Amino acid sequence: MELQVKWREVGKGTAVMDVSGEADLYTTPKLKERVVELIEAGYTRLVVSLSSLDYLDSTALGVLVGSYKRVREKGGTLVLVGPRPRIRKVFEITRLVNVFDIFDTEEQALDSLGAGG
Amino acid sequence: MSTNPARVELRIPSRPEFVGVARLAVSAVASRMDFDYESLDDIKLAVGEACTNAIQHASPGQVEEITICCQMEEGRLVIEVLDRGLGFDPAGCPKEPDTELHSHGYGLLLIQALMDEVECKSSPGGGTLVRMVKRLSR
Repeated sequence: MELQVKWREVGKGTAVMDVSGEADLYTTPKLKERVVELIEAGYTRLVVSLSSLDYLDSTALGVLVGSYKRVREKGGTLVLVGPRPRIRKVFEITRLVNVFDIFDTEEQALDSLGAGG
Repeated sequence: MSTNPARVELRIPSRPEFVGVARLAVSAVASRMDFDYESLDDIKLAVGEACTNAIQHASPGQVEEITICCQMEEGRLVIEVLDRGLGFDPAGCPKEPDTELHSHGYGLLLIQALMDEVECKSSPGGGTLVRMVKRLSR
């Protein structure tokens, strides 16, 4: 299965990314490319929805961590929404649950950014 | 469940687009045993990580293959992922998450957490063998 990455602006400098399919060594460059484009375009508050993601490996984790560090340097943040249990497990094993804010819904995530629902 | 011993061997080109092929094939083998869904997901991710590691340590410019062997045994599945790439020093990989925020180095950590036994033999220039065991929970 391929990886799909869609995004939309939800406020100034704030974007929601919907990531679906499978994020692995082959497909993750597409995710990285899109996140880098968004950050370079000035979106430093990113909500990444994982609710339709079926598979996530260490290379995708690496992209999320790298993106998180990049937006933090710019005074922004990156939060996650709705990972399925098997995806959440990957964040738990690596203890990245202690790094990323993970929300059940997009509305909660946007509220946390003060960007409205 | 009693499993008749059987061996399935797969060879894939050492390229990113074949990682998905390997994990789906091994998952299909595992599903012939009595693994639950969560264990099948664990096996898929562990195999994906082992193949990813092999590809990332492939010799530059060389056309290489990765060999994946699945040995179905009584109560357990033994999976070996073998490459002839550059190898690496497994001692340099974190076994526990540390407090630093890294953007790489999670692969072996995941394999060790997801599988019941993991053995990694690798040496610079000598390729890598990752041997993983998943036991049936019942």
